[in-house]
Amino acid sequence: MTMLRRLASVMRWVLRRKRVEQELQEELQVFIDISAEQKIRAGVPPAEARRLATLELGGVEQTKERVRAFRHGGLIDQFSRDLRYAIRTLVKQPGFTLVIVLTLAMGIGANTAIFSLFDALMLQWLPVEKPQALLLLNMQPTDAREPGQTLSYAIVKALAERREIFEGVAGFSGFPLDVGPAGTVTRQTGAIVTGGYYSTLGLNAVAGRLLAEEDDRPGAPPVAVISYGYWQREFAHNPGAIGQTIPLNGVPVTIVGVSPRGFVGANVGNIADITIAAAALPQIAPDAAPLLAPGNFWLRVLVRPGSDISIDETNARLAALWREIGDRVIAPHWPVSRRRAMADAVFSLTPGGTGWTFLRGTYEKPLRVLMAIVGVVLLIACANVASLLLARASARRREMAVRLAIGASRRRIIGQLLTESLLLAFSGAAVGIAMAWLSARFLLATISSGPFPITFDLTPNWHTLGFTAAIATITALLFGLAPAFQITAVQPSSVLVDGSRGSSRSRLLPSLVTFQVALTLVLLIAASLFVRTLHNLQTLDIGFNREGVFVADLEGRRTAVSADVLEAVLQAPGVLSASLSTHTPLSGAYWSEPAVPAGQALPDGDTALFVGAGPHYFETMQTPLVAGREFTDRDSARAGAVALINEAYAARFFPKQNPIGQRLSARVRGQLRDLEIIGVVKNTNAVGLRRPPRSTVYVSYAQLTGDFPTTLSVRASGSLGQSASAIQKVLREKLPNSPVQVQPISRQVQAQMVQERMMATLASGFGILALLLACIGLYGLLAYRVARRTREIGIRMALGADRKRVTAMVLSGAARLVAFGILLGLPAAWVVSRWIEELLFQLKPTDPATVGVAIALLMIISLAAAYLPARRASRVDPMIALRHD
Amino acid sequence: MEKLDVPQGTLDLMILTILSREPMHGYGISQRLAALSHDTFQVNPGSLFPTLYRLEQDGKVKAEWAPTENNRNAKYYKLTAAGKKQLERHRERWERIQFAITGVLEGA
Repeated sequence: MTMLRRLASVMRWVLRRKRVEQELQEELQVFIDISAEQKIRAGVPPAEARRLATLELGGVEQTKERVRAFRHGGLIDQFSRDLRYAIRTLVKQPGFTLVIVLTLAMGIGANTAIFSLFDALMLQWLPVEKPQALLLLNMQPTDAREPGQTLSYAIVKALAERREIFEGVAGFSGFPLDVGPAGTVTRQTGAIVTGGYYSTLGLNAVAGRLLAEEDDRPGAPPVAVISYGYWQREFAHNPGAIGQTIPLNGVPVTIVGVSPRGFVGANVGNIADITIAAAALPQIAPDAAPLLAPGNFWLRVLVRPGSDISIDETNARLAALWREIGDRVIAPHWPVSRRRAMADAVFSLTPGGTGWTFLRGTYEKPLRVLMAIVGVVLLIACANVASLLLARASARRREMAVRLAIGASRRRIIGQLLTESLLLAFSGAAVGIAMAWLSARFLLATISSGPFPITFDLTPNWHTLGFTAAIATITALLFGLAPAFQITAVQPSSVLVDGSRGSSRSRLLPSLVTFQVALTLVLLIAASLFVRTLHNLQTLDIGFNREGVFVADLEGRRTAVSADVLEAVLQAPGVLSASLSTHTPLSGAYWSEPAVPAGQALPDGDTALFVGAGPHYFETMQTPLVAGREFTDRDSARAGAVALINEAYAARFFPKQNPIGQRLSARVRGQLRDLEIIGVVKNTNAVGLRRPPRSTVYVSYAQLTGDFPTTLSVRASGSLGQSASAIQKVLREKLPNSPVQVQPISRQVQAQMVQERMMATLASGFGILALLLACIGLYGLLAYRVARRTREIGIRMALGADRKRVTAMVLSGAARLVAFGILLGLPAAWVVSRWIEELLFQLKPTDPATVGVAIALLMIISLAAAYLPARRASRVDPMIALRHD
Repeated sequence: MEKLDVPQGTLDLMILTILSREPMHGYGISQRLAALSHDTFQVNPGSLFPTLYRLEQDGKVKAEWAPTENNRNAKYYKLTAAGKKQLERHRERWERIQFAITGVLEGA
């Protein structure tokens, strides 16, 4: 009851402020009147009585202020009054306000944009039941170099059977599916999951049912669960979708249910619209059926531990269970040493509530670096805003002096100035969120141009809004506090009496500029390191000519590809050469097998990269032949088995020998083969740009047996688009039932540099923004100084200083600030560049050229910014300057 | 004699006590307080008014404008039922404090 009444009273104060204020004024007036009356009655002269009475009250305004502050809701009321005052002040200076809000919007918006990506990638819980409890199960065989995050199907099934450790075990993997009837087939990302997937995540179907253990048994009818989004797009929420069949890879599969809204799989960033059970693989994707064999590790595993088991206990039970089931689930055909390493494997659990994504490995560090970069940009922006507020402070000294004189406390005024800062920061944040929303999409599109499409929901959520509000508040304190203290540190009397502008020269302004220059240098050095890294990658000799080659992935269709496809492609306009191969460089897929010079024993774990290549393959790729000859049509299945090797292989196995004519023994798809070396080719960066080329054996495509993935490579002259569509047309005629895409191989190369391109683009963008802000800061400081020193400059000129000298005076002041900033910035840049070293390529973080360029750029641009005020100073007319004031 | 500040937390009690006899305006309260305390307590209106407003917000007193004996309109404060209850509670507590302090001072 009292709470309610108090609340009502607070509301009354806030809402009917005017009435209440008026009443207070009247009441205090009555106090003075009555008090004066009493005194007059006691014989004091009327004028004196009134004066005494006012003194007794201790100042009308002061008492009012105390009443306002003391009562409940006083703070709200005070804040709302400050806010109104701040709005009025800021609206009166629209230009000033606009500049500050835009500066802050850029700084805050950049932070929000990067954070929203960081949040989506690293922080957001999966939309499942109690995601905090989920753990990611990792397995570390003793011979593994990196912690293995994938498990085999057999292990996942065995763990799922044993309920004494985990309440649920969910294995999952992304899997591309060709969806739709012949003619309208589209490639979609789907997911393959084990039977415990949905129950472990604690999800219930929106319609129909979700997959369960019985769907994940050998021979179970193939069924699929579709996502809510897919149900909405393709079936318009029609419950009749349940029970319908959709062709997946040409196999009719029954839709049994719709998963909850917002859930698109545990593979973050990779939307799974269609989910099928692992046991359905042999029916839906026969060529992927070997995944179910015990030797294949491909499933990510989330587990939900039993509620009353500690982590230690869980680990202990896991180890015990592994000893029990290990024998059963380790691939029996593996060599003994590998089996031993598996049997001794150690399991570990890491938090899994945010799901799993390969993106974390690639983007965690870059995103952290970007967070740091945008943080620095925001600091620079804050320094600019602080300078602007400081410069304005001198204009407001009089206003503040008056307010202090009539009884406002310093704390009150600082509070009011901070309200102004908060208003500015939050206006900036509001604009910034809009900017971030747009730019984060653009960022995502950049990342998505990598080998895999990536989808995130970047709609502002409470994480990003909270983050933005927090940094807006911190920002307001950063740029608002110093000016607020400086502005209120005035003696009212001195300001009011002589009306001077206060002669104390603030040291804060120049140090802010120095600070900006230092931070800008750090960003510029980081940016040029990233730009040079990208440049190094782009100009890297990768062993094949990335221009003018198209590739078309024909999938596992080696047996289906007839010779006339190649013939037809060669007839297409502009085509210079064409070849078939099992793999192409940087496609993301590769094949390795053990291969050693004949006579040596085949090693267990040591393999070479294998590529099955047809005639004209090296001609098409323009990979230089170092010795011997290429494959020709004569290297057919009937001829003797031949191979080419790359320089790395030659250097390793045939040092200082001529490998041509030597023989290799290799295991190709489980069969021992004897190969004759007919040629040596240059190394290519087949598995990654940053990794050194691996030893590679090329075998004749025509001499392979069984089904292999097949890629068509075509070299064409003329315009890229025309050649691509001509090839595409030929393929569509020859292979009407498959969605074959013709792409330039340069896209495969570009996809390897997505992260580096993002870093180079963003870091240089933010570097330029920082440079711009720092220059505005420097310009503002100098312009302000010149304006204040007009009189002094006039005197100097009257005494004989010429224009050049005045210009030099201003410029040297600027140069000192910049030089000092650079001195401060260099050690900071050194520390930062160590931190980003792992992201660089063929570049030392202390690369002198890079650092030199950054310094030169900073000096040139900042002196250019300083030149304008310097010129203005040199144009001062001594006569006018001296009459001024 | 030197004037003392009102001991912390007792201003509420004194104001409520004064208002329990009759409704009064701000100046009256400050005069009465000085008189009753034999001019010992110096009550600054800067403390009196904030306290009055707080008591009003808490519903312990009610205010209405009424004419004074000199026919001026002044804001008169009146004790409410809740204020009476509060006064009794505070008084009781104050008496216990007083008893306790006296005991300590005399016993030592």
